Amino acid sequence: MHGTEEVLTRVAFGWDPLWVASILFIFTYAIIISEKVNRAIVSLLGAGLMIILGIINQQTAISGIDFNTLGLLIGMMVIVAITKRSGVFQFIAVWSAKKVNAKPWGILVMLSLVTAIFSALLDNVTTVLLIAPVTLLICHELEISPYPFLFSEIFASNIGGTATLIGDPPNIMIGSAVPLTFNDFILNLAPIIPVILLVTLGIFYVIWGRRLQATDAARNRIMQFKEREAITDPRLLKQSLLVLALVIAGFVMAHPLHLEPATIAMFGAATLLLLSNITNRSEEQSENVHSTFGEVEWVTIFFFIGLFIAVKGIEEAGALKLLADHALSLTGGDIALTAMTILWVSAIVSAIVDNIPFVATMIPLIKSMAPTFGGAENLLPLWWSLALGACLGGNGSLVGASANLIVAGFAERSGHPIRFLKFMAAAFPLMILSVLIASIYIYLRYL
Amino acid sequence: MKLQQILITTIVATSGMSVREVFAECSRTNIPALPFCTKTGRIRGRVTLKNIMKMSCLPEYVVETARILGDQLSCTDDLEAKARQLLDCPVDPYVQEPGITINSDASAIKALAIMEHNDTSYLFVVDEGEYRGIVTIQGLARTLAALDRQQ
Repeated sequence: MHGTEEVLTRVAFGWDPLWVASILFIFTYAIIISEKVNRAIVSLLGAGLMIILGIINQQTAISGIDFNTLGLLIGMMVIVAITKRSGVFQFIAVWSAKKVNAKPWGILVMLSLVTAIFSALLDNVTTVLLIAPVTLLICHELEISPYPFLFSEIFASNIGGTATLIGDPPNIMIGSAVPLTFNDFILNLAPIIPVILLVTLGIFYVIWGRRLQATDAARNRIMQFKEREAITDPRLLKQSLLVLALVIAGFVMAHPLHLEPATIAMFGAATLLLLSNITNRSEEQSENVHSTFGEVEWVTIFFFIGLFIAVKGIEEAGALKLLADHALSLTGGDIALTAMTILWVSAIVSAIVDNIPFVATMIPLIKSMAPTFGGAENLLPLWWSLALGACLGGNGSLVGASANLIVAGFAERSGHPIRFLKFMAAAFPLMILSVLIASIYIYLRYL
Repeated sequence: MKLQQILITTIVATSGMSVREVFAECSRTNIPALPFCTKTGRIRGRVTLKNIMKMSCLPEYVVETARILGDQLSCTDDLEAKARQLLDCPVDPYVQEPGITINSDASAIKALAIMEHNDTSYLFVVDEGEYRGIVTIQGLARTLAALDRQQ
């Protein structure tokens, strides 16, 4: 018999809650992976069944939802939705291409760096949504294949997103659950990111760099791009950059201010909504606010909600504790071996399937290991291993991260499809190399 | 005001018709689209000037980066030859789903309301499956302007 007394008395037909919860969770997971049904629908159905079958009650289900993660995601999505209207992303992309005199290799490096920085401070999907079209235009005008550029941007977005609390959803989840601050991520993950990015770019140079050539006439066409015209609303640009800077400063100061990241992000979003609408009539304000909220990725938000409840279900049923005990028996309770196992398993799994459900499952599992390692404060190497593995693993295949699929979609629609196997043949070994660097970093710094 | 008063009669696009012929008819009648019909005259889709332009010379990334485009672009090299090539193409690849239709005995205000509701500036006028013509917002404005002059 497994699970708490409260659980045992309520499960439908007197079934064993451990088995019901596990089967339901695996079934939910399998349908999410199959991508046959929208992932938000699947996770909400799985969550609903956890309650209907009596594994958890509604109160417990709601207690499983991490509102800090949701608040942070929604707040940042609103800020990004408003900021991108100012045209700043395209301005910087073209400006950086011109700074290297439109030399192809220079452009590849600059666009990769821009992608990595934006991905660290905003979100990967928005970053590539705005950078990929500029890349395709530049490559078309340079008369060279966009493949190396897009490949490099995919890697840069996932590597850059690893660096901060807000860079990638797994980090937001880990940061909120543990809890770890924005500064913790900067101090612990950011130092290794430039190393991984430089090594990756070095390999790209060996593979493609020397072959990227463009004529003077083609480069001249890039130099005539009008990046200043990308700025559609200078006032909005100033407001957005000001709020974004204040929000990031808020994240840095969150701990002494006793504020949660979600509060800062939501307050920043509300402030930017106010600033960008203050001069509008009330009907225009309603229309703008409605349109901005429409740009929040509600599918992702509801996916998270369902997932948090489903994970709470298997946690309450005792499945995660059982799994954690089994994992610890395999690693012999050795912190180094456990950290390396988490890092590598996270990377491999995240390359193949969505890393969000995986991380959502791993968080309570790792938390339950605290007594073995002498308390929650000794779990830090495991959290950094999970973050590095889940984020860097996204580079392993085209389906490893949402940003990869966005880039692939743009490439296909422009007549330059990125083939799944061709991408994976190069991306997977490169991802393994990045995880190897991360392993050395974790080992030398924490173990 | 009934739609018959503002109806613009046009030819229909059919399979194998060239882009040139569609452009010529749309320019002559000052309309943005033609219905695409089967040999029996049933509407199977529509051909719009906007979609032909978009599909033939505006890849998604060019639209996304519209504001930063410079004055020199590789796609504008040898423009006349490319234009001639496009004009000789059949319209078939450019056919979209059938547009919104309305009966010829409907009122102009109903046509305007349907246009607004569907965020379009034209409607195909169809009676019992048979194409009668097209009503456009410009056509309606033209008729109203003429009324003003008559008064």
